[in-house]
Amino acid sequence: MSATAVPTGKTTARTSDRAAGENRLGLKLVAPAVVVMLIVTAWPMIQALYLSLFQYRLTAPDEKEFVGLANYASVLGDSLFWQDTFNTLLIMVVTVAVELVIGFVFAMVMHRVIFARGVIRTAILIPYGIITVVSAFAWQFTFSLSNGWVNSWFAWLPGISSDTNWFGDHWPAMFAIMVSEIWKTTPFMSLLLLAGLSQVSEDMIEAAKVDGATWWQRLWKVILPNMRAAIMVAVLFRALDAFRIFDNIFVMTRGAQDTESSSFLTYRQVIEQFQLGLGSALSVLLFLSVLLLAFSIVKLFRVDLAQARGEG
Amino acid sequence: MSIDPPYTAEFANAGYLAELPEDMQQRLRDQAFEGAAAAATWEDQLVVAPFWSNTQVLWYRKSVAQEAGLDMTQPVTWDQIIEAASTTGKKVAVQSNKYEGYAVWINALVAGAGGEIAENTEKGADATITVDSEAGHEAARVIEELAHSEAAPADLSVAQEGQAGATFGSDVGGFMVNWTYIWTNYDDSQPEVKDDLGFARYPRTVDGEDSRPPYGGIGIGVSAFSDHKEQAIEALECLTSPESQGVNADLTGNMPSSPAGYDYPALKETYPQELLDLFQESLEAAAPRTVSPYWSDISGALQSRFHPPSSVDDDTPDKAKKFITDVLHQKDLL
Amino acid sequence: MQSDTKTKAGTAVGFVLILVWCLLPVAWIISLSFKGAAETAAGSPQFLPKDPTLDNYKTVLGVGNLSSGDAPDPAVSDDFLRALLNSFGIALVATLLSVVFATLAAYAIARLEFRGKRLVLSIALAIAMFPVVSLVGPLFDMWRTFHLFNTWPGLIIPYMTFTLPLAIWTLTAFFREIPWEMEQAAQVDGATSWQAFRKVIVPLAAPGVFTAAILTFFFAWNEFVLAISLTSTTGSRTVPAQLSFFVGPDPFNPPYGQLATASVVVTVPIIVIVLLFQRKIVAGLTSGAVKG
Repeated sequence: MSATAVPTGKTTARTSDRAAGENRLGLKLVAPAVVVMLIVTAWPMIQALYLSLFQYRLTAPDEKEFVGLANYASVLGDSLFWQDTFNTLLIMVVTVAVELVIGFVFAMVMHRVIFARGVIRTAILIPYGIITVVSAFAWQFTFSLSNGWVNSWFAWLPGISSDTNWFGDHWPAMFAIMVSEIWKTTPFMSLLLLAGLSQVSEDMIEAAKVDGATWWQRLWKVILPNMRAAIMVAVLFRALDAFRIFDNIFVMTRGAQDTESSSFLTYRQVIEQFQLGLGSALSVLLFLSVLLLAFSIVKLFRVDLAQARGEG
Repeated sequence: MSIDPPYTAEFANAGYLAELPEDMQQRLRDQAFEGAAAAATWEDQLVVAPFWSNTQVLWYRKSVAQEAGLDMTQPVTWDQIIEAASTTGKKVAVQSNKYEGYAVWINALVAGAGGEIAENTEKGADATITVDSEAGHEAARVIEELAHSEAAPADLSVAQEGQAGATFGSDVGGFMVNWTYIWTNYDDSQPEVKDDLGFARYPRTVDGEDSRPPYGGIGIGVSAFSDHKEQAIEALECLTSPESQGVNADLTGNMPSSPAGYDYPALKETYPQELLDLFQESLEAAAPRTVSPYWSDISGALQSRFHPPSSVDDDTPDKAKKFITDVLHQKDLL
Repeated sequence: MQSDTKTKAGTAVGFVLILVWCLLPVAWIISLSFKGAAETAAGSPQFLPKDPTLDNYKTVLGVGNLSSGDAPDPAVSDDFLRALLNSFGIALVATLLSVVFATLAAYAIARLEFRGKRLVLSIALAIAMFPVVSLVGPLFDMWRTFHLFNTWPGLIIPYMTFTLPLAIWTLTAFFREIPWEMEQAAQVDGATSWQAFRKVIVPLAAPGVFTAAILTFFFAWNEFVLAISLTSTTGSRTVPAQLSFFVGPDPFNPPYGQLATASVVVTVPIIVIVLLFQRKIVAGLTSGAVKG
């Protein structure tokens, strides 16, 4: 693990002295980072937990009242909450699945390309680096009824005509949101997969080839199983990221046509409606969902977290 | 700070607005249109100074009205313009994205049939929601009719003022309800549209009953937490003088909140006298949105049940009433 | 041999497709930024501008006169340039502080044995997955109490929090690769420990620190949820927030062209960074998450 080996040949007392000193120094060095990380997360979460037990609205501060778990009851009994949770999960599953496929193709191409590697790396990093809000605008304008090119380029497809109103119905609007999300985040996925791909030994692939395995067999029996760790880490990170989708929806539909996500719902309750009580209950539920989701992905797919943390 | 009329009550109720001196309140009240003063009032105090007042009129393409044989010198109903646009293959542009502008339209339709969205708003969250009245059903009928007619623009469910303006300026433009700024909107970009541009009183919801055009605008308030309240109030007095209102109207197309503001000379050069008269007549007849500190909840819940327009039917007003009531009592999430 | 040709052809096709997919939306906003207000207001679904104009750039950047002779609206450019300044300032300060803290922590994790090491890494992992929106309510409340609402530090502090995990992983991975024995070897050769550190370790560690800084900067530059929730004026509003609230000089017509122009302007720094440092960014992204 550590590059420092405890020097040998010294007395036990000095060794433990030295270990204690190292321990203290280590704690001192990580302290600032840990404090900054917790100050903005742990304390506000406790605050949210507390506020979620009150009926409390900033526009009527005098009516603050302890209501126990009533906020949770109203949230969990609400159809909008479940609709938004469903939307969020759907966006997560679809975008991660599509990104896995596209990202893998990207990674294969990048792995194989021998010329112009810099060009393709640059091209792929632009969506990664671009501001999500900008991506959302670019795609919103792409699908725009009066100013977008999708309708004029794809009018030959069934169901698309020059006056298809993409943001006028639930499914087309969800589609547009997902396209923007996929465009923006596929590069991240493909770079993680590329790193995994480069760890698969060429000899093994060559050996399979000699044994007469087809390209398809080599892919499924040799390459993918050996990339398992990388794929799982990529899925974990992207899934949790997609679950928090907010920017794209905010810019593209503002939640109209029932395209709202859990994050967007929470934001609206707190910031637009000043419902600190109900909003805090939603915040807590959102936090718990993320925990549950992370836990299930880790357990279900047996993700090696040591690898995710950069240990090893 | 500039405050949109529907939020005035919410801000005032929360104690965010500094009190204005009594004599100033009186002066502003005398100077402003009745509707503008009403929208600026909360619990008998004028809490913001009306700056500009906006209203909507019916804009139409003269050529289309002529082709459809519609007599625009007489008041027209929504049914008539939808019919006229459908037969001529044109569109009726409105604001029906899921946003405050849609609530403006619904409110005007309900008021035009003699109803209100909510009553007894001084009871706050316990106000009586009356959108399920006869008038509410009339309003829903108009929306349903337009949404399912040939006259519905393709972008009906996402249209705001700008999109409506674009539809109206395009080949299929026929009729549109929109704010006062439309008169100068096409001057530079599409002069041919301007030549064909006619205006009339806001359409009637039901035949035989005067329309109640929407009321919009901006009132200027002073923050109760300001460090320089007195200077701010002085600045406010200057900003909202009839002359300043006239200057602003000339520059931005947002009309004055007082009859005196309409006397600003430059306005008469840009706008024909009949149009200025129509604006003032509309403001006098305007139906402000319900004054309630909970307007943003009422409006949000209303939009939620009335959107998209194509989903509106005869059950919508009843569903909206139930939902608004639940939201106000925090039984339902908005 | 035949399958080799096929693979090569497939790779070439894939190469072109990737370029198109990644760059088309960028080309689109660039094209849109040259469309005039009249063109977009009337509806302009074709890809390229009919009548390219620099008006949007003049308005957004506040320079020169428009082609019709009008001066651009200073309110638009003032707000945008102010937001650009906020974005740069906040992102740079957050990056600097975050990287300093992360370097200390990563050094300790990579080189020292201490209790709680696993805990630190677990906290970092948990925070990387944290739903930022959950914090909006309580932070909004706290920041108002501490007078941090709508200030630079009000955004810098949470940005540090959420970039530290990525910076710590990236740096830990880099630091593990450094042959620390060289430091001792240099000291044996007569260098003082400061010299050894400066001449041997710093050059080895610098690329990692730099990479972590780029990734941190990208995050802060991109962040949106906190930027719209914890600011209220252009005094501290960053570019993503400003863009999303931008209605243009005419409140009733969506300013497609100006939004596209502002988007292009804020994308330029990203493109420059990517062009200069693509190799480092790729290394940093992959080393942090997957042991390379």
